[in-house]
Amino acid sequence: MMFAIIENAFLSILGSAVPASTVIVLAATGVLLNERVGVLNLGQEGFIAIGAVFTVISVQEWGVENSWLALLAGVLGAAVIGAFFALGVVVMRVSQVLVGLAVALGGVGLANQLGTNRNGSPVPTEIQFSDLDPFGVFADNEFFEAFLLHDPVTYLAYLVIPAALWFLLFRTRHGMVVRAVGENPGAVDAVGASVTGLRFFYTVVGSAITGAAGAYMVLTITPTWSPDIARGRGWVALAVVIFAAWRPGRVVLGALLFGTMISFESTAKARSWNLPFLAAVDMGFLLSMLPYIVTLIVILVPAGAAHMGRRIRATDAPAALATPYLREER
Amino acid sequence: MILGYRLQRRLDADARRSAIYRISGAVAGLLVSGLFLLVTGRNPVTILADSFEAVFGSKRGIEGVAVQSIPILMCAIGVSLSLRMKVWNIGSDGQFLAGAFVACGIGINVDLPAGVLLPLMMLGSLIGGAIWILVPAAARAHWGVNEIITSLLLNFVAVQLVVWASLGFWRDTTSMVTQSTRSVPFTLPRIPGFDSVSIAFFVPLILALALWVVFRSTKVGYEIDIIGGNPRAASFAGINVPRRVIIVMLTSGAIAGLGGVLQLTGAPGAQALNGGGFSRAYGLSGFIVAALAGASFLGVLVAGLFLSSMFYAGIALQTKGLSVYIIFAIYGMVLIGVAIGETASRYRLYRSVAEMSGPVDLETVTSGAAS
Repeated sequence: MMFAIIENAFLSILGSAVPASTVIVLAATGVLLNERVGVLNLGQEGFIAIGAVFTVISVQEWGVENSWLALLAGVLGAAVIGAFFALGVVVMRVSQVLVGLAVALGGVGLANQLGTNRNGSPVPTEIQFSDLDPFGVFADNEFFEAFLLHDPVTYLAYLVIPAALWFLLFRTRHGMVVRAVGENPGAVDAVGASVTGLRFFYTVVGSAITGAAGAYMVLTITPTWSPDIARGRGWVALAVVIFAAWRPGRVVLGALLFGTMISFESTAKARSWNLPFLAAVDMGFLLSMLPYIVTLIVILVPAGAAHMGRRIRATDAPAALATPYLREER
Repeated sequence: MILGYRLQRRLDADARRSAIYRISGAVAGLLVSGLFLLVTGRNPVTILADSFEAVFGSKRGIEGVAVQSIPILMCAIGVSLSLRMKVWNIGSDGQFLAGAFVACGIGINVDLPAGVLLPLMMLGSLIGGAIWILVPAAARAHWGVNEIITSLLLNFVAVQLVVWASLGFWRDTTSMVTQSTRSVPFTLPRIPGFDSVSIAFFVPLILALALWVVFRSTKVGYEIDIIGGNPRAASFAGINVPRRVIIVMLTSGAIAGLGGVLQLTGAPGAQALNGGGFSRAYGLSGFIVAALAGASFLGVLVAGLFLSSMFYAGIALQTKGLSVYIIFAIYGMVLIGVAIGETASRYRLYRSVAEMSGPVDLETVTSGAAS
């Protein structure tokens, strides 16, 4: 009897961890793409919020009735802001830290403003993404249900996009140039490829993917607009990429770790779990801090290990990350 | 390289030119924001006039700005200090809350007369703020971990801690509806002649002046500026860079923490922690102030009062089409303008004769330069 309860809790945590992590996976994939071309995009919170608000607006105001089109609205909204961001940091070579923070701050402010009076009116169920069950067997088995019964965006985020990104970056000639832009833009310039063009393009694409994370939030997880919707997920995505050593596959793992903590928190709260010395209520507050503390520890570990002499390079960060490129200063 | 124009990095750094460019950038950001307001069906001129009326039209407005400016200035001074050595402390919201948290804990649990308790709370807030940045500081100094994300993540932890205190272990249980801690027993005295501004207002002013003197005429300040300019050179010159980085970051956190206790004991109606809303993004506002002022401690005072006025206008004009959300969007535009100005001040446009005339002819170029 006891065993069954634990098993069910375990499955329910995993079952909700996977979609909860989808947001982080998408946002972190966007970050990864930005940082691989040497652009530090601190504006993640802003891009998530913009993606979410444009999706809600497309449904409530423009009469979009298809989930994918609603997702596209959020993606395009984030891409437009991403183009402005890229104009600043890639073309005008302005400080990536300052403009990134400006987007984080201003993007959330803009999204909150656009979302005023949209609180509490949920996205209709028929526009929300529904779970895929192609063989009709996932819903029958609780293991399948937890691991496999998810919506198509989750499948895209976990399998299709990381695999495609890995192939693009590590198995194609173009991918080698893309990685070189982040490592040594001078060399890319010398072989005749456009550093500015590549950085601009992949900054916009990365921002758009982060926008998809926000769109997914309002189309699936909490199907309604609420102010400050990102609640730190953008910053966690930035940390996940550091943890993942800028590799697409590990991004998925890192994000899943965070999603598991979030759903552990909600499961523990829902079931009023407690420790002998801690009331369930207090346990809940403590668990709310946990994801951020674990994220912090997770980015300190590789650097600490490097310091202890376990690894040669202190970090796997692209060498030209956050450095504007100007040919005259090569 | 369009029409023969090229960008060239200026060899000299001129503080005044940089300031002029940054201020122009901020003004441009405000103009773009005005355009945005116009597009969304608001009249920016009316809003500007209403803002002036709200801020300068009454004693209440001026006092409101002064009250808002205390936490914003404290965070801005802390951020500026770390920015002097090119360290981005984005966690000053967390340090502000941590300082207030420790001070609140002392204030509601220790029974002492005001003359002893208030200094004790201030000491506690300094320690609280410093502890909150300890891990990012040590990781940055010794392991080279970038401080931007580590310091920011702790903001969320601080918010949860304060929420926990407000709803949990320090909750005011005398009323069932309150969602805040018990109130601290003592407040700072008001400045004579003012209804709501406490003597806490003088703390950021004195602190900024003191730091200005430190950076102008002491060895420590000079060494910090050298680390900001070139850490390798500083290291070769015999400066213990990791130690300096840790001390400066801890001080930066402590200043933000002190801002927390000043808010708790000085601001009208803020004598208890009421969840994460205790800090209304003061840390982020402080960050923008520091960026706008280019980490100059006298500039921080001017920029801080300017941003506080904007923030106060945003709160006061909620019924007239302005909101705190719009203020944050405008903050973003101002920050982008400042960043562009800061970059522009380091470059100059010049027209290259050689590129105008197609293939380079050495003789033409040299004779052209001579004439």
